[in-house]
Order: sequence, then structure tokens, then C-alpha cells
Amino acid sequence: MRVYQFRHQRAKASVARVRVRDVKALAEAAVDAALGAGASYADARAVSLRRQFVITKKGQVEDVSDTESEGIGVRVLVDGAWGFAGEGRLDEAAARDAAVRACAFAHAAPGRHDTSLAPVEAQSGEYKTPVERDPFGVPLSEKIDLCLRAEEGMRHADVKVTVAMVRAQREHKVLVSSEGAAVEQELVECGGGIDAYASAEGISQIRSYPSQHSGVSGQGGWEFVEGLSLDGEAPRVGEQAAALLRADECPAGRTTIVLSPEQVVMQVHESVGHPTELDRVYGTEAAYAGTSFLSPDDLGSLRYGSELMNVTADATTPEGLGTFGFDDEGVPARREAIVEGGVLRGFLTSRETAARIGAGVGGSMRADGWSRMPLVRMTNLHLEPGDGTLEDLLADVDDGLYLETNKSWSIDDKRLNFQFGTQIAWEVKKGKLGRMLRDATYTGRTPVFWSKLDAIGGRDAWRLFGLTNCGKGQPGQEAHVSHGAAPARFRDVEVGVSA
Amino acid sequence: MSRYVELAEQALHAAEGDEAEVLVQAERSGVARFAGSVVHQPTLIDNAVVRIRIVRDGKAGWAATNRVDREGLTEVARRAAEAADGARPDPDFPGVASPADYPEIGGYDEETAGLGADDQARLAAAAIEAVPDFELYGYFSSGVTELALAASTGLRAQQSLTDAVCLCLAATEGASGWAEQSAWRSTDVDPAEAARAAAETAGRTRGAVELEPGSYAAVLEPYAVAELLRWFAYDSLGAFGFLEERSYLCGRIGEQAFDPKISLADDALDSRNLPKAFDFEGTPKQRVELVEDGVLRGVVWDRLTAARAEDGQVSTGHAPADSWRYYGPLPMALSLAPGDAASTGELLERIGDGIYVTRLHYLGIVEPREGVLTGMTRDGTFRVRDGKLAEPLVNLRFTVALPDVLREVPGLGRELKLVNLSDLYDERYPYAALVPALATARFHITGSGSGPGL
Repeated sequence: MRVYQFRHQRAKASVARVRVRDVKALAEAAVDAALGAGASYADARAVSLRRQFVITKKGQVEDVSDTESEGIGVRVLVDGAWGFAGEGRLDEAAARDAAVRACAFAHAAPGRHDTSLAPVEAQSGEYKTPVERDPFGVPLSEKIDLCLRAEEGMRHADVKVTVAMVRAQREHKVLVSSEGAAVEQELVECGGGIDAYASAEGISQIRSYPSQHSGVSGQGGWEFVEGLSLDGEAPRVGEQAAALLRADECPAGRTTIVLSPEQVVMQVHESVGHPTELDRVYGTEAAYAGTSFLSPDDLGSLRYGSELMNVTADATTPEGLGTFGFDDEGVPARREAIVEGGVLRGFLTSRETAARIGAGVGGSMRADGWSRMPLVRMTNLHLEPGDGTLEDLLADVDDGLYLETNKSWSIDDKRLNFQFGTQIAWEVKKGKLGRMLRDATYTGRTPVFWSKLDAIGGRDAWRLFGLTNCGKGQPGQEAHVSHGAAPARFRDVEVGVSA
Repeated sequence: MSRYVELAEQALHAAEGDEAEVLVQAERSGVARFAGSVVHQPTLIDNAVVRIRIVRDGKAGWAATNRVDREGLTEVARRAAEAADGARPDPDFPGVASPADYPEIGGYDEETAGLGADDQARLAAAAIEAVPDFELYGYFSSGVTELALAASTGLRAQQSLTDAVCLCLAATEGASGWAEQSAWRSTDVDPAEAARAAAETAGRTRGAVELEPGSYAAVLEPYAVAELLRWFAYDSLGAFGFLEERSYLCGRIGEQAFDPKISLADDALDSRNLPKAFDFEGTPKQRVELVEDGVLRGVVWDRLTAARAEDGQVSTGHAPADSWRYYGPLPMALSLAPGDAASTGELLERIGDGIYVTRLHYLGIVEPREGVLTGMTRDGTFRVRDGKLAEPLVNLRFTVALPDVLREVPGLGRELKLVNLSDLYDERYPYAALVPALATARFHITGSGSGPGL
């Protein structure tokens, strides 16, 4: 997901306490200055962000860090052209200066500009993540103890490196626009994960929990991390990493595959989430993240997958990293269908792209901190559940594979040809799990692959995964997004791609 | 003394501990991003970040802020001390770096530093106007990055970096081509020339056809070469991957693993790259031979990983930025030695039959220990027949073990290209690879994807 996609996993040491000050007045001053400098529309986001990371590795504390960043980002429309400036000082002079510089950049921007925005009622209000236990109030020693305990649990003779990580983030932001929007939000998230690296005789294998992508995170308090049971899962993770060293390689061929919820989430992210971002459809990410195999005309008619396929974008999902009261254009959070019964029913939109396609009002605009322009991003994008358990899905597989936990990921610039690898797989023979396999991969083309979907697990098997490394934009931005999915079964898939 | 060193010293004075180290990283930049030949996302950034590492009783903690007033510096020092107090002693921690002499290098250009929003828009326009027959996508960006370090050991270091980058995708429905130019002097970047090169490639890509999967000889443009090396480096050319047994180099140092024509170094001191004098803990940069004449020589180190190696390693000046700490030290100034091919045409003649790849997209690491990577080609993929470019191809999925790609190399280009590798995440820190075009006997194609163009 790095890039348009998941950015290759990076641990960001991060921050401290949100400062309390009257940032709304600064944002209003910036908007006033922008209008005075010729803007027909302006919005200003004042953001304070604190992040904290604790990482232990091989029984030592590898990283204890606490980072804060604050500033104001001013976005303007001048004669139909966008301009944006981010300023790291939160004072009125800096806010006004950023507004004027944004207008100057918009004035200078070459090209034929005719940006218009879908009308939306100006919102005012507040939103706060419900938190039981403030993650920044949890002593560092408790966090370190948890990580070291989890590492201890992964110990095995063949496991050479163990890593445990927990994180916390609090973002306070105020958005003011020239149309009268004035919203204030405080979003709190935390998460964690563990990895075991085993190696012997020239073979190296990794096993992770709950995912390889910096674990998982969710909005909420420390109770979210406690619910992950990192130390409880650790022995299984260590044992499986070691067992993979002696597992056979995944064979090549075409077969039925059942994907774990965490791998389904990756499939949804890369082959449904990104291609339905309407800015990509219109080409604005063409040079970097890429475009989409979809066109605006496909709305309401394109068959994306089988009739079992229902995908929903929902910025109201409890614990979702894409949950908010308002997006970064001030559009209220909403839940909407993206794919219904296998047919494309919606795009992820901004006010600009909504106006261009003539449908919707936006609601998916998100920015990475104060120094970046909002872009169309996923919020919480879910594959809706079907019926049954994992065992039910396996029971109808005579000969196939069960694949669990994403390891590698790649998809082409139009989001058609993809190839994924998972950390672990098992043969499925006559409905039962058989021998363990390593280095499993599968590949396909997006609509063909989704047309092979013939079973999805039920609500009880549905899990939410929050990922913090979805990259897009230039300059680069990382979005935090969540996806929910249950295990899913696909027929006639190519597996075992090798060099 | 620069104001950024003064700022680092102010933060150092606020730090209470046995040892402390302060890094200031400041950015003033503009990105004129364009799509459909229109600048649609123009972004100006002005920011300075102060990062403190404090060591108390052998325990280290980090904190960072962009509040650079007295209150902010006091607060960040307090939080770093709190992080240190909460940590545990690391027996391998070698302490913060001592004062050092730094090499005199280039990397800063007053004219580039002076470019403002009008200039960035003007240079973007120069690219756009150069290709009326295609829509242009990409950006022109320039910026100044300031790095300053102060440590309780008396270490003081300061460097100002400039960079200018123009990335160009010339595209229309069913056709696209790519070219870019990067330098630390903006006058060395010609946006119009980059745009025209992209358009020239794009013009040949109409009517692309699929290709049967299989192993093909290939000529890889410098853009593709740089990307392959970057992704191979994540696990194989840094100390973490080496110490943790994920690196292809594990157990193979001294082995003739690649074609003798392959010599790969990391050389941040090379003024043809984007030169750096020191790393993020103040250790002077060194040129590191990674591969010499096809023989695997070693990886790059910072102070902590060198101490952990317990075999006499020393830091090579590769301590990473905060946002890269998870990866540990990595080579971020890769330099692949040129060959003797006077032109791309000569490389095509050497392979005779195969494929030509301009650029890669969305790489992933399939199996690190064997250097197996997957990804897609894009924006200029062609069949090569009889030593010449033939029909255009759709974007191809490749799954290759990079050592296989480098094992038999019919030739490398004589000309080196500086390829930008920064995606401008986090605080600006420009870096690039200096590489030639490369011909390989084996490039494994495992599928076909979408066609070129929009």
C-alpha cells in the first residue's frame, strides 16, 4: 500500500500533547487574508498532531519516541486554480502569510483552470473519538512491558529476531472555510503488532500478528491495544515462523483459494479502494500512483465482481481509522455503497470530483497533517459479510489453498494486474487444512478475480483492520484507513508465481 | 554559525541527561504538481523540526517538535527525558557521536535556493508548453533542506542542501512515456527537455500488445535500474537486513555473485549525486563499496548496528532519518559504475532479441533472502527484435530475483543518469541514484497488465 497503495512499512516515531490554544481565530484570519488576496474560496486547517512509538527488538528497547507537529494549511481557489501553503508556526502573521503565498501560487499556476465545487451546506460542530483510557496516559513502562512480554512469547530456537511495537496518536484539527464551515475534531488512535523472523540454512521467513503492516491500529483508547492480546498470540506467531522454515514451497497452478480476513482487506484496499478514488479516475495521480481501469461512465453499470460482492465506504465505523465527524473539506461523515451485488455503485469523491461527475457531494477528502493538500482518500472501506464460518468456506474446497497474512503486494497503475504474497498458507484437501506451505503467492486481474468470488464468511467472522501506511500524492501523504472483511473464497486463481 | 546550529544548541541547553544529541531539519520548498497539463496541486511548505535524543543512565529516548520557541524546546527536551527514563538500557548503545571533520562538498546552490512559487510555476509551465501533443503529468519542485546537529560531545555539523526535480509523464489514451531530470542546481534541470523526452517515448507506445510470460533478455533504462536497486537495498544492502539474516549478502561476502561488469557503491560524497557531508547522527559520510567487479563486499552501517555486529564494523555514515529508522541504515546515494556502451542502441544490439523497459511501478519484496522482487513495467515498454526497438508492449508484470538479473550483463551504458528516489514523504531530504542503462540476459515476465496511457 505504499504509494497509492500501501507505502512500504515505515515506523514513524511520533508525538506529545496537543496544545490548547485558539486556533480557530488563526484559521479565520487565514481565510480572511486569502479572500483579501483574491481567492474566491479558501479553507484553513490548523492541526496539532502528537505521536508516540514504543518498539522493542530482540529483548531490547529499540525506540521510545514522542513527536509533535503543529501548523496551518491554507487552500485557496483563485480564478478556478488551486493554491496551497503550509506553515509550521501557529501565529496570526504566519497564518496570513501562508494564505497570501497560497494565492500567489494559484495565480502563477499554468494551465486552463475551471475548478468548481459541489455545493454543500456549511457545517459547524465538533467530533471526538470516544476514548476509555487515554493512550498518552498509559505509562511508558506498561507499554514497554507489554512489548517485551510479547517478544518473550515468540522465543524459539529458530526465531532470530523478534519485534514488538505499540503506538498512539492524537490529532486535533480545526477547519474554517470561506463558505462558513467551522468544525473542530479530536481523533485518537492507537495500535500495535508483533513480528517473528526465523532463519536457518539460507531460508528466511516472517510471521506477524495482527498484520505485517505495523500491526493494526484503531480509533479509540488504550483498550484497543489491550484487546489485541499481543502477548497471548505471541507463542503461535513464533512457532509458525519457525515451522515455515521446514514447510514446502507453495506449488504453482490454478486452484481455489480461501483468503483470511487480513488478506481480503489488502485485496479490497488495492483492487477496490484505490481504483474507485475519483481523482485517480480523472487522472490526477497518473504520474505517480497511477489511474484506474474504471471510467466515470462505468458508474451504475460496470460489473466489478460476483453478486456476492458488496463494498461499502463508511466514515462512521466504530474504531475505524477513517472515522470522523467531517472530512477535510467539512463534509459530514457518511456511509455509501461502492459496489452492490457486484455492480459499481459509487466512487470516493471530493467536492471537486463530485461536481465534475455530477453526483454526490464529496466526503472522502483527507490530508496528512497540516502541510499537505487534502486528497481523495479511502475512509473505512469494507467487504460486507456473507454467511458462515471459515470452516464452512473450507468445507466446499476439494483441493485448494488457505492463505493468511499479507507479505507482499503489487498492482499495476490502473489497478488491474495484481500479485500478492502471504506469510503462510495451508493446503486444503477435501475440506480440511493439510500441510503448511511457505512463499505463497497468487495473481490475477481485478474484475476477473472478483468474479470468482463464491463465498464470504458471516458477520461473526468479519474483522476490522486499521492500516497506517497508505501512500498517495506528491508531496507524499500517508493516510490511515480501515477495512473490514470476513474470510472469502475465490475459484480458479493462479498461484505459486516465482522468479 | 548558522541559525540552525544555534537552534540546535538552544535545544541542547534545554536537555538534561548524561548525553544528548539534537538534529534540526528545516525545509522551504514548492511543488508545482500538474495533471492534464494543468497545475492542480501546488504546495508550498515552510517548516523546521527539532529532534532530541537524550541518554540517561544508559537509556535513550527521542522526541521531536516543530515548535522552535523557548517553550517548545523546553517541552521537547522534557519529553525526550521522559522517554529516556521510561526506556531500558541498551548494552550495545555506543553513545552519541564525537566531533568530526567533514568533507567540503557541493550540494547547495544559491540560485536554486532562491526559487519561489512564481519560478516553480514558470518551470512547470516550461515542461507543459514543450509538449502540445500530449497531456503532461508530474511536477516541478525545488527546495532547500537545512541539516544541523549539536551534541553534548561537542559535535557540531551543518549542511544546506538544494534540489530541483522535474518528473514528466507525457500521456494520452493508449500512449505514455516517462522522463525526469534531477540536480542540486536548478540550472542543470531542463523541464522542457524532460517533457520532450517523455513525449518522444510516448509517441511510440500506441498499439501496445501483450507478451507471453517467460524469461527475456532486457535493456533497462536508468529509471528501472534505480528502482530495482532501491528495493533490493531495503533488505540486502543495509545493516539491519544483514544482521537479521534477511539480506542476500548473508554468508556471501566475497562471493562472485554478479557479472564482473557490476560495481555498485553508495557514494553521498559524489557531487554528481545530491551530496551529503554527514548522516543523521553526525558521522561523516563514506563511500562504501557494496559490489566490486561482481563480488559482494558489504553493506552500510550506523553507530548502533556497527556496535551490534561485534566484528569490528564502524559506522559508514548511514544513520537514517526518523522516518527511516525502522529500516535502519540504508544506502541512499547508490552509484552503479558505467559500462562501455555508447548508446541505448548499442545495448539493444547486444541483446538482439528481448524487451526494453523504461520505468517500473509499485515494486514489492516477494522473498528478501534471495532478492526476489515483483512489480510492473510502465510508460515505455517495447519488444526488441534484431537489436532494435520493435512493437510497443502493454505493462508487464515481472517477478525476478535481482541477483539473476545482475548475473549475466551483456553491457551497461557509458552515460550515467541521476534518478530521483524521493517521494517527498515526511520532511524533505532529497536523494537519488546515479546509474546507467543496463542490459541483462534474464528478466522474468510473469504476466501482462493494462496498456500504456490514461
